[in-house]
Amino acid sequence: MAWKRIKASLPPGRYYLSGNEAVAEGAIAAGCRFYGGYPITPSSETMERMAHRLGQIGGIFVQMEDELSSIAAVIGASWAGAKAMTATSGPGLSLMMENIGYATFTETPCIIVDIQRAGPATGQATRVGSGDIMQAKWGSHGDYQIIAVSPWSVQEMYDGTIRAFNFAERYRVPTFVLGDEAVGHLRETLEIKPWVRVFDRKKSRGRPPFDSKNPRQIPPMPTFGEGETLLVTGSTHDGHGIRRTDDPKVHSRLVRRLNDKILLNQQHIVDTEEFFIEDSVLTVLCYGFTARSALTAVKELREEGHRVGFMRLKTLWPFPHERVAQLSQGVEKIFVPEMNRGPGGRGGHEIQPV
Amino acid sequence: MSKTVQIRFGGFGGQGIVLAGLLLGRAATFEGKFVAGSNSYGVAARGAACRSEVVISEDPIDFPQVTIPDIVVVMSQRAYDLFSRQVAKGGLIFYDSQFIVPRRRRGMVEVPATEMALRNVEEKRVANVILLAAVVAQTGIVSQGALLRAIDESVKGKFLELNRKAAALGFHWKEEIHER
Repeated sequence: MAWKRIKASLPPGRYYLSGNEAVAEGAIAAGCRFYGGYPITPSSETMERMAHRLGQIGGIFVQMEDELSSIAAVIGASWAGAKAMTATSGPGLSLMMENIGYATFTETPCIIVDIQRAGPATGQATRVGSGDIMQAKWGSHGDYQIIAVSPWSVQEMYDGTIRAFNFAERYRVPTFVLGDEAVGHLRETLEIKPWVRVFDRKKSRGRPPFDSKNPRQIPPMPTFGEGETLLVTGSTHDGHGIRRTDDPKVHSRLVRRLNDKILLNQQHIVDTEEFFIEDSVLTVLCYGFTARSALTAVKELREEGHRVGFMRLKTLWPFPHERVAQLSQGVEKIFVPEMNRGPGGRGGHEIQPV
Repeated sequence: MSKTVQIRFGGFGGQGIVLAGLLLGRAATFEGKFVAGSNSYGVAARGAACRSEVVISEDPIDFPQVTIPDIVVVMSQRAYDLFSRQVAKGGLIFYDSQFIVPRRRRGMVEVPATEMALRNVEEKRVANVILLAAVVAQTGIVSQGALLRAIDESVKGKFLELNRKAAALGFHWKEEIHER
């Protein structure tokens, strides 16, 4: 198991698809065979296409009664051996939070596509926002890590979804595709390559599915029905999944490992893209659709002779602290344009060099 | 044509404004161009003012939405009033004369699309394709063959033949005007 090269699920070539449709195609290409979801603007086209495509290839599609059950179904499908996904937007993501915490603690690979819209609450359903960045990371209780990719184009909605599945399977962790309305509804040229590199969860009969000596290494994941004794619980558990709700050592070991397995593997996860950094005095740090506007603005400023650089976060979580710290060394200011009010809630903020 | 062309379609929801943008985007993709398109979403696409935009370029597109269109295609007075002031220098406005009384002359291209649709195929729903085909014939933003291929891949059933006829009408719209 582990890495393998498979044929793309669509004939190779150039397509003209929306971002939400590209997410569905990326999921199918990565091997997703279960979708459980509840439709919500502006993500519904993903669900619509998954219903159509999974029907064609013999996967399972279920429209659940709400988002709580949607993520629960996805977690169940994952433990039954499927690569599984759901897609939603802010209000739905809020409802999923409890079980996302459960998925992190049970080390369940699953994909949550969040096509962000203007919040809080019902907000403006058809308008763009990026107000779920912190919720994706911190929305459930306790200490945990997740992975999030941040696509800025239809191409990345496809490639990034494949990548998200690979992260989820490799690190046994809920992984987010943090898109937004603008990139979800954007139609763009999409290049489908003939081959896709995918990672399938590791199996190792008899080895404990919830512990590893080296926290960098991810324990194997059995599936119900394979004949192994398997217990999956959201309570503190030992390496074999047995509930150990009184022993502080077991709790400490588990929680540390779940954080370390992501943080100590950061170099394999974090991805950034930089332009015009070498001579820049000011740098724009951005992600997602905003980066499309920002890059255009940076190019215009450079044409006028301003030494402005550009850095884009292709993955948002874990946050690329090291790269951003390096970047801040040579510049006077870093500008961070976002479609939210920022961590302080007061709008645009500046990161001063450290 | 310059390296990047921005096109904006406007009309009422139901006139096929979104489909026109989709057809143009697909056609340009067939020709190996970089394309980005977006359109009205939600209630606007179903009866109210509706808009659809396409950016076509030889190079990868940084900002994928229309900023200042080179070509505006309108099928309602409201869309004309909204969009006619925002056109690039030397740009063109194609309009369906069934619905629009223009207030300017420069850069205006009259296409009696709805009238042609009713007269020739007795189906006003294909006026969007007539108008789009006229834009293609006049500006060459994509080839006529690419547009026909886009229609073949996007329209199903009994409407396919109707839309192919509409495209043929649009490609020869100048003759139609001449006959009048």
